[in-house]
Amino acid sequence: MFSRRFAPILFLTVLVPSVHGASNSAARVRAFASLPDWSGVWLSAAWPLEVSGRVPGGEAQLKEMLQLIRPPPYNATWQARYDEAMKDTAALAARSATFKACTRSFPALMEGPWVFQVVVLPEETLLVFESNQVRHVYTDGRAHPPDDEIWPTRLGDSVGRWEGDTLIIDTIARKQEPVAPRAWASTLSERAHFTERLRMIDPSQLEDRLTIEDPIALAHPWHITLTFKRVAGVNRAIEYDCAENDRNPVVDGKLVITPP
Amino acid sequence: MTTPKALLGVAALLVALQATAHHSGAMFDDRKSLTLIGTVKTFQWTNPHCWIQVLAPGPQGPVEWSVEMGSPSQLIRGGWKPRSLKVGESIRITIHPMRDGSNGGLYMSATRADGTPIAVPVTNGSVAAASGNPQ
Repeated sequence: MFSRRFAPILFLTVLVPSVHGASNSAARVRAFASLPDWSGVWLSAAWPLEVSGRVPGGEAQLKEMLQLIRPPPYNATWQARYDEAMKDTAALAARSATFKACTRSFPALMEGPWVFQVVVLPEETLLVFESNQVRHVYTDGRAHPPDDEIWPTRLGDSVGRWEGDTLIIDTIARKQEPVAPRAWASTLSERAHFTERLRMIDPSQLEDRLTIEDPIALAHPWHITLTFKRVAGVNRAIEYDCAENDRNPVVDGKLVITPP
Repeated sequence: MTTPKALLGVAALLVALQATAHHSGAMFDDRKSLTLIGTVKTFQWTNPHCWIQVLAPGPQGPVEWSVEMGSPSQLIRGGWKPRSLKVGESIRITIHPMRDGSNGGLYMSATRADGTPIAVPVTNGSVAAASGNPQ
């Protein structure tokens, strides 16, 4: 009698979670529990922004702190191309004086002024930036897409794997454009290959050891270490809609302020 | 005063060009600082920049200045809130003025008319509590 009356309820109780996937499998729970906790809000150590929206030491401080604006270790051919571009000081100055950036390509996004959160899941790690850009780093064992299914994009294609508490990120298929704002003459080929070793070095800092290899452009691997600081006083992502109230158009080759 | 309540001070600042997160800072003259004493016309809590519109006395009456700040995210980190300023409130604000001479500039610092701070920056001591992270 009991079993007949309650059998449908028991059936639904057992069946519903499996049909709708409402609960995690024990294996997924174990996988999640083995991953590091990188919750919080993070910001590149190169961008200790003030209320003004600038760093305390201005452009001079940025030139000292930013690593991606340094000359890449080019091979002879690309070095000659870089040197030629650097001679056009008027064009470089004009670009520096008028540039605006609401988003950044990789790897400049990792050395940019926008805070981000790291969402660590068993299948992938997401780096969610204030600029509304998201890096998907798939850690489920998949490979990059085959050649006929991949094309260059601003963030490239990333897959990853865990070595203890260090996330190894492998990125390819980055669209060819300047490596970073201010590094207008620095480009890489679309064969560039990026390897990152991302880890927490203490509760308030993440470290990203980035190696860039490019058989077309570089003479040898380019090693860069980026550091991110835990941001104080912010416990949620804050919307950054760059087009909401942009009062800085470029007019006659100069940035200006328009009335409200 | 030749420039009533608009105190022009040329500061010997050692920094080079300003650099903001969203755009080049070449439009601002970092060799100069200008202190405005006026009233808040509007306080725009918007992206990519917050703005304080300040009415400061000029030779022919009130002059409106546009003061550019960081984004809401950056202001919150500096202790500011969407209603930190009220319309009509008296304010003393120092800026790097525009190089082109227009009535605008980049925020450097500000206080209320009586000298009290408008915001208190968040300190690192609140990191753990603010992030909800037990570490």
